[in-house]
Amino acid sequence: MPAPVSLKRRLTLWLVIIVAGLGTLLLIEAWTSARKAADRAMDGQLEAASLTIAESLQWPDGTPTLEIPASALQILATRWQERVFYWLQADNGRIITRNADLPITQVMEQQARSGPVYRDAEFEGARIRLAGREVDSAGWDTQEPVQLWVGHTRHGRDVLAGELFEKSATRFVAMVMITAALVTIAMLTALSPLKALRRTLRARRADDISPIELGVPREMQELLDTLNRLFADQRGQRDMLLRFIADASHQLKTPLAGLQSTSELALAVEDPAEWRRALTAVQASAGRTSRLAGQMLSLTRLDHLGPTHERRPLALDRLLRDIVIEWAEREASQAHDLGLAIEASTPVWIDGEAWALAELLHNWIDNACRYTPPGSTITLKLAAIGDDVRLSIEDDGPGVPADAVSRLTRPFERAQRQDTEGSGLGLAIADSIAQRHGTRLRIETCQPRGLRLYIDLSRSASPPESAA
Amino acid sequence: MKHRSPPRFRLVTWLLVGLSVGLMASSAARAATPLIIEAALDRDVFEPVLEAFAAENPRIELDYRDRSTLTVDQRARDTRDPPDVVISSAMPWQMALSNEGVAQPLDAPEADQWPAWAKWRDEVFGFTFEPIVMAYRLELASHMPPPETHRDLLQLLTDYREWLDGRVVGYSPRDSGVGYTLYQQDARYTPRVWDLVAAMGAADVHLEKTTRKMLEGLSDGRYWLGYNLLGSYAMVWAQTHPDIIVQVPNDYSLVLMRMAFVHRDAPHPEAAKRFVAFLLSRRGQHILAGQTPLFSVRDDVVGPYTAQRLRDQVGDHLYPIPINASLLAFVDALRRQAFLRRWDRELHILTE
Repeated sequence: MPAPVSLKRRLTLWLVIIVAGLGTLLLIEAWTSARKAADRAMDGQLEAASLTIAESLQWPDGTPTLEIPASALQILATRWQERVFYWLQADNGRIITRNADLPITQVMEQQARSGPVYRDAEFEGARIRLAGREVDSAGWDTQEPVQLWVGHTRHGRDVLAGELFEKSATRFVAMVMITAALVTIAMLTALSPLKALRRTLRARRADDISPIELGVPREMQELLDTLNRLFADQRGQRDMLLRFIADASHQLKTPLAGLQSTSELALAVEDPAEWRRALTAVQASAGRTSRLAGQMLSLTRLDHLGPTHERRPLALDRLLRDIVIEWAEREASQAHDLGLAIEASTPVWIDGEAWALAELLHNWIDNACRYTPPGSTITLKLAAIGDDVRLSIEDDGPGVPADAVSRLTRPFERAQRQDTEGSGLGLAIADSIAQRHGTRLRIETCQPRGLRLYIDLSRSASPPESAA
Repeated sequence: MKHRSPPRFRLVTWLLVGLSVGLMASSAARAATPLIIEAALDRDVFEPVLEAFAAENPRIELDYRDRSTLTVDQRARDTRDPPDVVISSAMPWQMALSNEGVAQPLDAPEADQWPAWAKWRDEVFGFTFEPIVMAYRLELASHMPPPETHRDLLQLLTDYREWLDGRVVGYSPRDSGVGYTLYQQDARYTPRVWDLVAAMGAADVHLEKTTRKMLEGLSDGRYWLGYNLLGSYAMVWAQTHPDIIVQVPNDYSLVLMRMAFVHRDAPHPEAAKRFVAFLLSRRGQHILAGQTPLFSVRDDVVGPYTAQRLRDQVGDHLYPIPINASLLAFVDALRRQAFLRRWDRELHILTE
């Protein structure tokens, strides 16, 4: 059996995975948005400088010129004292003024024509951010538009992004710690009913099957109900067992008491004929008692054999035939007309336990012989009913009163017939066997008189030819 | 057959090798590290600082080259033979060099403590605080009220033009980077400076390249009145030439801060860093304040030439030329062209 899983460890592991996963995503997101925020802030400076320079552009005679405003350059520098760059080009490619040969491509120029453009670039080994726009203005002469590009190094952005990210990351880490602490507490609290249940169960004596009284959360209620049902079943079984033992010992006491009195009476006389009579009675009684003991053993064996069904493919018609033939040669059935009727295509295959079904048939025939008067007809039938097969026994004896039918399968129930020597266990055993085969023993009254017992079994496929 | 030198011979050889290596090593240790300083700063003015540094650093051999601001800028851009330290009074050009990455950051406690308004990117540092002054000959005062403000100056040039005709001197913005910077900065504060330029033009102003030339002319008597001189040189001159009066303008006075940096490709970076750190140190600034007229920037230094003293004497009207990216506008070619065009126009506007 593999090592048991720890709920706590599993919860912790899941928590760690989720936090690590989500956390990494959150941190990545925080970093990206910190960078974006820093870029937005600093791009604002680029825009401001760009607009200030654009404002100073003049087209005194149609060609653009610029007296670069000093404050625009300080705006570009920002408080992080970046290195600053500017570059102005007229439409025809003539450089108006610049302080560096910025890496501005044709593509970038094209993009700047449609609106302000912000780009990262590398210049002389330094990472810079460029902002470009096309500046156009109204005037008395046609004025060529001007490409205006400004830029600065990225140091301040990185610092700002780092600061923002650090704030986010610190907040996040703090939150994770607090959450972890709270979740740990919650976990311990939530799992405490399990502990309580464990303690309660441990505190019980091993044979204590009284219901568990414990307040548990809804999710555990089902578990507790199942446990209590289990205990209830066990109590029921124990009660049944006690009843059975009580009945059994009562049943055994009676013949044994008879044996004792017969023996005592016989010992009191000196007449061998009396002794013979007494011994005959003792023999019969002993036989009955031993039969009773045998049946009680069968019944307990059936009840306590456990759920492992050892059903195998079985040719029911053959079994039936064998048993009927066996009984036909017995003395007990000589007074009766024992017959067999098979109304199904043979062979009739079912999944069953051979010994159990044989026991059932023995009980049925034995019962029929005992409880019907001599001359009665007893017929065993095997009939097909759709996919099922009905195994039944019928007699034309006196039958049983309608209200006693339901009690017949109870142990030691003899349907008010105290005149025969049956044990009262036969039908209980037969019902047990029927249950083992997934069905129940059914009892009907025949018309005009008699009793019919039957069980319905499912036919199975014929086994491979290797079966005997 | 192998030739084997006798063991004694080999031992002697190894001893000689070891000895010569040792000698070379020790001589290398004793050899001084050269330190090449390209400076637009008169040696005789700066000498006390150089001597103090040399005294504290005997292993460093100072190679101080006293140049014009133009030459200093060209030398700083020389990729084949760069200097170690670059000092110049042409603030916009120093700023441009820093912006182009020619300067390297100085990682020293003196640099960290230096006031933020007097440094840029921890690369270039303004280490002097020189007021920009007017200067005039004593005898001028006997003919006209001596000027105390820019407005006074304009007034004099307008009312006493006959007296001052041909006797006024100022910087040539074309030929002097410092002069150009000062006029640009004046124009940033008020357009009225163009009135002054026009008046000077009307008085047939002489344009000189350096303060020294202006002072010499004043002492010679060729000039009676000078505008926008370097107060550091002027005050020292006035000490030995009592007929020259130096006036820090009362309305506002620009302040020039000479800027120094360590070159990115300095051949002797350690020595260079030591030198600049010395300039910024308490000791270096103390020398500056006591033995040079260059005015110390640090407020924890006491001496006759300190920024604090200047403020106490002159008041709040000191306007140091800001050490930030706005200076870069002055090196812009287009802006310079436009300025000089205007200068030419304004200079002759009243005489046409």
